[in-house]
Amino acid sequence: MPLPDTMFCAQQIHIPPELPDILKQFTKAAIRTQPADVLQWSAGYFSALSRGDPLPVKDRIEMPTATQKTDTGLTQGLLKVLHKQCSHKEHVELADLEQKWKNLCLPVEKFRALLQLDPCENKIEGIKFLALGCSMLGGSLNTAMKHLCEILTADPEGGPARIPFETFSYVYRYLSGLDSDIPASDTESYLSSLKDSVRAWRTHRLEEHPWLGSKLDHQLGPALGPLDREKH
Amino acid sequence: MPKTELLISYSFHPVDCVSVNDMIITSFCSSQKLSSQPLLLYSSPPSNPSEPGCHACAIVGGQPGVEARRQCREKQPRAAPKERGLGERRQHRPRKATLKSGAGDRRRLPQASAGAAMSASFTRRRIYKEGLGGRSQEPEVPRRTGLPPKPASRNFSEVPLPAGTLGCWATGAGGAGGLSAAPSKPRVAPTSCPGNFPSRPLPFLPPLLASRNPCPWHYVHLSGSYDTFVPTCFEAKLHRKRSGLTLGVACTLTDRASPAMATYTYTSQPRALPCQRRRYRDDQMQPAEEPMRYGNIMYDRRVIRGNTYALQTVPLPGQPDLAEIQRQQQAKRRALAKKRAQEQLRPRTPEPVEGRKHVDVQTELYLEEIADRIIEVDMECQTDAFLDKPPTPLFIPAKTGKDMATQILEGELFDFDLEVKPMLEVLVGKTIEQSLLEVMEEEELANLRASQRAHEELRNVELAEVQRLEERERRHREEKERRKQQQWQVVHKHNETAQKIAAQTFARRYLADLLPSVFSSLRDGGYFYDPVERDIEIGFLPWLMNEVDKTMECSMVGRTVVDMLIREVVEKRLSLYERKEDKHSPLKPEDGLSGPGGMRDPLVGYESQDHGASQAQRPLPDRDSPQRTPYDARYMERVSSQDRKLMEEEVEQTEMRKSFRSEEPLQ
Repeated sequence: MPLPDTMFCAQQIHIPPELPDILKQFTKAAIRTQPADVLQWSAGYFSALSRGDPLPVKDRIEMPTATQKTDTGLTQGLLKVLHKQCSHKEHVELADLEQKWKNLCLPVEKFRALLQLDPCENKIEGIKFLALGCSMLGGSLNTAMKHLCEILTADPEGGPARIPFETFSYVYRYLSGLDSDIPASDTESYLSSLKDSVRAWRTHRLEEHPWLGSKLDHQLGPALGPLDREKH
Repeated sequence: MPKTELLISYSFHPVDCVSVNDMIITSFCSSQKLSSQPLLLYSSPPSNPSEPGCHACAIVGGQPGVEARRQCREKQPRAAPKERGLGERRQHRPRKATLKSGAGDRRRLPQASAGAAMSASFTRRRIYKEGLGGRSQEPEVPRRTGLPPKPASRNFSEVPLPAGTLGCWATGAGGAGGLSAAPSKPRVAPTSCPGNFPSRPLPFLPPLLASRNPCPWHYVHLSGSYDTFVPTCFEAKLHRKRSGLTLGVACTLTDRASPAMATYTYTSQPRALPCQRRRYRDDQMQPAEEPMRYGNIMYDRRVIRGNTYALQTVPLPGQPDLAEIQRQQQAKRRALAKKRAQEQLRPRTPEPVEGRKHVDVQTELYLEEIADRIIEVDMECQTDAFLDKPPTPLFIPAKTGKDMATQILEGELFDFDLEVKPMLEVLVGKTIEQSLLEVMEEEELANLRASQRAHEELRNVELAEVQRLEERERRHREEKERRKQQQWQVVHKHNETAQKIAAQTFARRYLADLLPSVFSSLRDGGYFYDPVERDIEIGFLPWLMNEVDKTMECSMVGRTVVDMLIREVVEKRLSLYERKEDKHSPLKPEDGLSGPGGMRDPLVGYESQDHGASQAQRPLPDRDSPQRTPYDARYMERVSSQDRKLMEEEVEQTEMRKSFRSEEPLQ
């Protein structure tokens, strides 16, 4: 019997089977991300979803510590989202980055202010942008480095948040270079002392657990977790 | 079949016998004085009086007088044995005298009814007179109704009666046979009549006799009081028969009541006790019912009656007299065979004529329901052929209401926005609810995991710290141990040294006194000596002494020789002087010459010998001997006892030698 053209009852309404799942995932993402402008964010979400890009979704729900009225409204979770979206390539288009910034309902003025710290043309290194964002999150350099470590780490959440030493030193140099108050010699001395301690730690680990050697080599350098903790 | 009822009123005593046979009523009085009493008899007239076939006989004997009582007394003892056989079945319905058709129930004999009726009348009368209650349990009135009279046995011995003729004795059927034999019955003679029997012949006798059928009366009266009925029966035969019967009974009685001299054996099939009064038909499949032989327990030989004190114990039932047993068995067998023959030869009621049936009648005053005949009604029905049940048709409720029609335009019935609203609500609400739940759950899990990892991290750090501290502690402990060990060693060495020093001091002090004493004792013991002195003492002095000895001996020998020469010379001179005095004697020079020569030879031999021995014995005695002389006393004081002994020996030897040497020159 062919379906009639006209509908007579509610049972004839057809719901696409994939709709509930999409709807649910979207709802969850919205709940988790808590965007200020849901429409804007939804546009970004669905465009990313249709393009197959990483979704602008926070991994964890964040308590609203930051408000756009008092500060940038930027949070660590948002920075992580941005990093996740941009990490697949080394250099990011500024327009693309701005679009993503907007999709996260962050004010464009803050983006411009952020870029004024390190003015560049239409491309910026992702790690640098991340470092700038981290510096914007907290006041001191140490806090910024801490945020960076927590964003960049491959360790599970709550873990020691270790990152390779090279990345750390690169970002540290970059950030301290931006700040004219810090002399370069201090930076280098700090980094060298850090390196020594890292090396000592590594050798210590190797002495304790010789079977860990290959693993540590694969890690591209020792983790910075303990050092990070020592800093603050 | 017309039903003939005979109702007899008990108020009429004198009725002795009433026979209803086609309206023929026979009445007789047993006694003269009672004969004048009126006889009342009521009988319903038969519908077919012309039919001679059916007779209803009822005998109502009533003799209130002394005569009747005498009869009763007479009858009783004789009827007793037989009473048990036939009367028992009738005990329960003594008041019913039924005549049944021969085909229906042949077991019931007409005599029974007649006898029953008579007994009933007798007993009833007696009961009335004695005023005893309980009609139903009347004792067995003596009657001999069961006696097989066999009146025709003599005449028709070779012609046994047909089985069907057992039915009713009162029927007049078979009258031809009886009639034909009637002339040959001269026995019916008035001579056999007892005295009190009416001498005049009864008007109904000839036909009765002529019928040649044994009338139930005969038996009734033979059994009961045959003397009153003698004219109607064959007395001689009866007498004979009765004697035979009594013999048989006696046999059985004796057999039954004989003291148990033989081994008593009794076997019977176990069977259910049948209901005495059966309301229902027996099983059709069952063959003829075998006679129940339930005896009274009072006659059971296994039951001992009386006291057992005086019971004669049987000597031993193991050895019975074989002949006696055989005789008894034979007698039993004979009696049984006779009984069987008698039963076979018993005259039966003749068959009813064509178109008639024997029927039982009730002759009692009151009608009672006869329960031993089972009422049967035949019903028939025919069922249809078996057919399959057709399938139940589907239930379709009847249509109610009215059909109406109306037109609906498009969109009038269905509004999508309206209809989709609940669905959407469900969709959105459910989605949000579930999403919230899931997000919260995931958040919670993630929080848990994060805190767990943080805790793990903290724990790891603390563990490392603990390990570090432990390591430090271990190192400290080891250092402490090492230091302690060192200190201990130092202390130990110090102690050792102190002890050594103390020991040394002590030993030194102790040995300080010891050394001079030891030296002195040793010196006393002669362990310290001057080797030159010793050598001189041991080696030189003995040699010196030896040499001195030798020199001394040489000088002594020289002196001796000189002495001998002197002596010879002296003697020669003496002899010369004597010869001179005695002119010179030749003998003197010879003696002088031989003397010194003889003396000299052994001396020389001894000397040489002595020299060899002295040389061989030189080491000890020759050594010691010279030194003794200078300081013998002093030396003896110092040396030990051994040395002293040795010295003594040496001394002895030297003394011996000295003495020997001193003797030597004497020889």
